[in-house]
Amino acid sequence: MAILKTEHLTYSYSTGTPFEVTAIEDIDLEIETGELVAVIGHTGSGKSTLIQHFNGLLKPKEGKVYVDGQDIWESKKTLRASRFAVGLCFQYPEYQLFEETVYKDIAFGPKNMKLSEEEIDRRVREAARFTGVPDDMLEKSPFDLSGGEKRRVAIAGVMAMEPKILILDEPTAGLDPKGRDTILGLIQNYREETGRTVMIVSHSMDDVAKIATKVLVINDKHAAMYGTVDEIYERSEELIAMGLDVPQVTKVFLGLREKGIPVRTDIYTVEQARAELLDLRAKGVVAW
Amino acid sequence: MVKDITIGQYFPGRSVIHKLDPRMKLVLTLFFIVFIFVCHNFWSLGLMVVTLGLVVALSRISIKTILRGIKPVVIIILFTAVLNLLYIRTGDLIWEWKFLHLYTGGIYTASFMVVRILALIVASSMLTYTTSPTLITDAIERLLSPLKFMRGGVHTIAMMMTIALRFIPTLIEEFDKITSAQKARGADLETGNILERTRALIPVFIPLFITSFRRAYELAYAMECRCYHGYEGRTRMRQMKLEARDYVALLLIVVVMAAIILLNHFFGKLV
Repeated sequence: MAILKTEHLTYSYSTGTPFEVTAIEDIDLEIETGELVAVIGHTGSGKSTLIQHFNGLLKPKEGKVYVDGQDIWESKKTLRASRFAVGLCFQYPEYQLFEETVYKDIAFGPKNMKLSEEEIDRRVREAARFTGVPDDMLEKSPFDLSGGEKRRVAIAGVMAMEPKILILDEPTAGLDPKGRDTILGLIQNYREETGRTVMIVSHSMDDVAKIATKVLVINDKHAAMYGTVDEIYERSEELIAMGLDVPQVTKVFLGLREKGIPVRTDIYTVEQARAELLDLRAKGVVAW
Repeated sequence: MVKDITIGQYFPGRSVIHKLDPRMKLVLTLFFIVFIFVCHNFWSLGLMVVTLGLVVALSRISIKTILRGIKPVVIIILFTAVLNLLYIRTGDLIWEWKFLHLYTGGIYTASFMVVRILALIVASSMLTYTTSPTLITDAIERLLSPLKFMRGGVHTIAMMMTIALRFIPTLIEEFDKITSAQKARGADLETGNILERTRALIPVFIPLFITSFRRAYELAYAMECRCYHGYEGRTRMRQMKLEARDYVALLLIVVVMAAIILLNHFFGKLV
C-alpha cells in the first residue's frame, strides 16, 4: 500500500482577497514505502506548498491526503498523528533551533510525542549518529555551532521523531559542495539503514539524481511527471522546456542528437556516457 | 492567523485617494478623526459617515476588505455596545429583568458609539490602505521638519519608523515560518491553558529574536556599506508637491467640518 497518497489536492493562498493565488492544483500522487523521492521544480512551482500538506500544516482547499491509508483531516487525532508520521524539515532549518543544548533541541520532537525518557535518549543518540553529531557536541549550545553543524542538528531533530516519511525541503541550500555531499550522504545512509521513506525537495536535479529512486517533477502548480530517475531523464527535453536544469553530460548528448548523431538522450552520469560512446563506436556509427 | 489582520496594510492602487499628497492625507485624516469626536448627534455623525463613504468609494477599496479590517475589533465594539445598553439610564424604560434595565437612551448611545468606533477604524485604515508605509513616514518626517534642531534629528526618527514598518511583514512571515517548523516537530500551540500556551511560544520566540538581531546587524552593515550617514546633505528622490486635488480635498473636509459644527448647534446634544 502507498505510504502517502493525495487525491485532487488543490490549495490557494490568501483566499478571498485580491491577492488570491493558486499554489497547487489537482495533484494526484502515490508514493510507495521505502522510496527516496526527489521533488523537483523551480522556485514558485508549488513544491514547498505541496509538502506542507503531507503533515497537515496546510489544509487543502480541495482534495484529500492519506498517510498510511489514513485521511489525515478526518479528526484532530489523525491530524496530530500525521505530524509525527510525516517529519518535515523546512528550508534553512538551522534558524528553528532554540534550546540550551543540542541534546535538548533534538529531543524536542520526541518529547512532544510524550515518549519515555529512555526512548527519547535512544532516539536522540541514534539521530545524532545518523547526522554525524558527535557526543561532545550534544552538550554544547546550538548557537555556538557552525552553519553546517546547525543544519545537521536541525535535521537530527526531525529524524529523532522516527517519522514514517522524512521530508527535507532544500536540505542543501546555501551549502558548499562538500557540505552538500555530506548532507546527501547522510540522508542516503539513513534511508538504507532504516528503510523508511524519504522525500527531498530541490530545484536542481543534478543534486539529488544520484541518490533518488523516484523523481516527482512539479511544474506550474501541477505534478508534471513521476517515475524512476531513468524514466524522467528520458524526457530531458521536456525538463529543459520547463526551465529545469539537467546534468551537463545530458546536455552534451542532447547537443549531439541535435547535430544528427543518433545517441540516447537519457544519459545523466559519466559512466553511462562512456558506455554509450563505446557502444556507438562498436556499432560503427562514429569513429575516432 | 496573523495574515488575517488587515489594519495597517497597504493596498496599492491608482485612485484619487491613493494619489493625494500623503502630508495632506495625514493631516486631513487627523482632523477627520478629531471631528468624529466633535460630533454629538446623529445628524453630524451621519454627515461624517457619508463623507467617509464617499472617500471609500473614491479609493476603490472593496467593502469586503474593509469589513475584514473591522473583524478583529468586533469584540471591543460589542463590549462597548453592551455596556452602554445596560448602564445608560436616561429616556424611557422599555425592558427590565432582575438587575438588567434597558432604556431608550441606552439604545441611542450604544448605536451612536458603535457607529463612532466603526467610523474611527475605517477612517484610520483608509489612510494606511491607500498610502504606502514609506510615504506615511516620509510625510511625518516632513510635517515634523520644524523640529529639525532636536538631537538626532527628525530624520533619524523617521528612518527608524520606516525600518520598523518595513520589517513588520518580514517578521510576520518569519513568525509563520518558525511556527510551522516547530509545529512540524509536534509543538502544540493551539491547546492548553494560557500558561501552557505562553510556554509553547518559547520555541517560536527565541528563534524569532535571534533572527531579528541577525537581520538588524545585516541591515546596519548594508547601510554603512552604502555610506549612510544620516540626514545632512541628502536629497530626496520623491519630491512632494501639493496639486489641485489636494486643495479640493482640503476644501471638502473644511466644508464638512463647518457643516458638522452647524449640525451640532442646530440639532442639540445627544451625548
